[in-house]
Amino acid sequence: MTKVNEGDSMKFRTLLIVCITVLFAVSAQGQHRASLKAGKAQLKSAGALTFGPEGILFVGDSAGGAVYALDTNDQTAATGAAKVEVAGLNSKISAMLGTTADQILINDVAVNPISRKIYVSVSRGRGTAAVPLIMRVDASGKIEELALQNIAHSSAALPNTPTGERQRLDTITDLAFLKDVVYVAGLSNEEFSSNLRSIPFPFKQVEKGTSVQIYHGSHGQWETNSPVRTFVAYEIGNKPHLIAAYTCTPIVKLPIESLKPGSKVTGTTIAELGAGNRPLDMIVYKKGGAEFILMNNSSRGVMKMPTAKMETYGPITKPTDIAGLPYQTIAGLTGVEQLDAYDATNAVILARGAGGMLDLKTVALP
Amino acid sequence: MPTGKLVNLFLLLFTLLADPSIQLENGTFKLAGWDGISTIRTGSAAAVFPIYVDSEAPLQLLGTYAVEAGTLTFTPRFPLEPGVRYRAEFTAANRAPIVARFDIPKVETEPTTVVEHVYPSRNRLPENLLKLYFHFSAPMSRGEAYRRVHLLDQSGNVMPLTFLELDEELWDVENRRLTILFDPGRIKSGLVPHNELGAPLEEGKSYTLVVDRDWADGEGVPLKEEFRKTFSVGPADGESPDPDTWKITAPKAGTRDAVSIDFPEPLDHALLERLLELTRNNSRVAGSVRVDREETRWQFTPRDPWQAGDYTVLVEAQLEDLSGNGLDRPFEVDVFEKITERQSSEKIPLPFTVR
Repeated sequence: MTKVNEGDSMKFRTLLIVCITVLFAVSAQGQHRASLKAGKAQLKSAGALTFGPEGILFVGDSAGGAVYALDTNDQTAATGAAKVEVAGLNSKISAMLGTTADQILINDVAVNPISRKIYVSVSRGRGTAAVPLIMRVDASGKIEELALQNIAHSSAALPNTPTGERQRLDTITDLAFLKDVVYVAGLSNEEFSSNLRSIPFPFKQVEKGTSVQIYHGSHGQWETNSPVRTFVAYEIGNKPHLIAAYTCTPIVKLPIESLKPGSKVTGTTIAELGAGNRPLDMIVYKKGGAEFILMNNSSRGVMKMPTAKMETYGPITKPTDIAGLPYQTIAGLTGVEQLDAYDATNAVILARGAGGMLDLKTVALP
Repeated sequence: MPTGKLVNLFLLLFTLLADPSIQLENGTFKLAGWDGISTIRTGSAAAVFPIYVDSEAPLQLLGTYAVEAGTLTFTPRFPLEPGVRYRAEFTAANRAPIVARFDIPKVETEPTTVVEHVYPSRNRLPENLLKLYFHFSAPMSRGEAYRRVHLLDQSGNVMPLTFLELDEELWDVENRRLTILFDPGRIKSGLVPHNELGAPLEEGKSYTLVVDRDWADGEGVPLKEEFRKTFSVGPADGESPDPDTWKITAPKAGTRDAVSIDFPEPLDHALLERLLELTRNNSRVAGSVRVDREETRWQFTPRDPWQAGDYTVLVEAQLEDLSGNGLDRPFEVDVFEKITERQSSEKIPLPFTVR
């Protein structure tokens, strides 16, 4: 019989408490993953990507009319230097998939904030036999496929999925995750309207989320119900907001609490970025105690906007090119087609260079 | 020549003669005749027998290795692509490397896919036209729509920055119908793109839509022919369609003649096909929809003959005209001149009686 002295007993009790606390913490942390079931993820397409908690990757499947949550099983915290450089990512992925670079489409890029591995949604083929895939790239540049054959996952079907309706589809333009809610911005290939859905996560069997119509004003006079192209979920003055870039260029802020089922929400235009430009992706980051939004565009480069006092920018009332929220175009970043936050001081970009090659690399946040 | 050297030469010759060979059979790469096959371990096969796409970055194909009857095989994750050259290499210690290249023949297919129709059908369109639908005779390929569809001005010059270019193109499930939106930022009053570049279309001018012949269909074969549609531009339309101006023609009881609704202006083709529903006593009547007369007429032919009595066509308020004006709300609303929203967002009933 082993005699336990007082000191050992204290240590044991402390250890027990620590263990129980850790167990509770782990089970609380694992609640999102626990909602996912193993099996084949039947994606019909892989488009917009965003990460949730516990290495869960959300994938917009426009063709299947659904949002998938995939357990990437990738929760080992990143270590080492934050630098990734993969030249010709499209050629490398196409080589692995046994085809040529012109026969694949890279649809989106997202960084797992835990492991800092970079996930890429890909279409192998562009025609009728196209196959959706998720590839991931580690810091050493190694590329591998995230097997969808047997993966813990769940999905939420969007309303108006193309069952019975041959032609109508909602294209998912962007996804964001904030506080156990997945936000889905969509654009129909028929009616012209905004379509922003919030879907609580873990997904419930019949949960289709709520859909709201968002209007935005321009110069305080015209209001339109217009589709959102890209957006970021972000807190302004401790209140969660969405900062959304519309298909017709204004950047609009809307408080999440106003997004109630069936409500009509009018966002506030805080910036207008001018003609011939398409906003592509947005991220929020901190630098030197201040916060900024970084946004890449089709023709106006990468823009940086301070979020400070964003809540004070009222609606734009005068038509000027650089209106409302001030922005700065970052020199040296050209052809940026995809953008995501990498770590506290770096972003990852996918930029089109010479010969149509797409280079994946980390860049210091400006 | 000393005997030892002669023996070595013979051994070398023997080795060369017995060198392994690489074949491609039914989409599987095979390495045969290699005496080191027994040394292959899981994970080492890829180093000995890597397979590449010859034209791309030197990253090995994804796939599965196996040893079958003394042959090392590699089955690619995806079927081999016609028109692509693959490179198989054999590299083992103390053995001469082998490189074999395999061209997968591309079957030359006669182009047959065409643009069947572009909606709106009219050749005179409003200045603030919002949407175009391109219907193809077969599935198309994705990813190059905005490079293949052009708008030309009267002099034949390509009009830049005309369409809303989206990362994911707006196709239907079958890749047979493409929706293209004119850049809404240029259509809308007061937005910077509108002020800088003006509206994409100008009243009084004419334009030509062009779809390139080089555009690959879903099988990678170009279109049979280029497509062109020339149209002139009339005034902008900022009004919601008004169902009170629509004319319903009721059929006779006992027939399967169509019920028709005529509109004073063309409406959106896709929405006309989807957003009108025929009901009797609150249940849906089975039948088929036809939209014709340049999208100014909707017709419904019932599956079973009409019975005498009351029917209702229910119209969803999302129905739009060619300029994106919905029944419930115009494309843009001047909030300084508060307009009364004509309809709620519910379904609008259009009753008629069959006699």
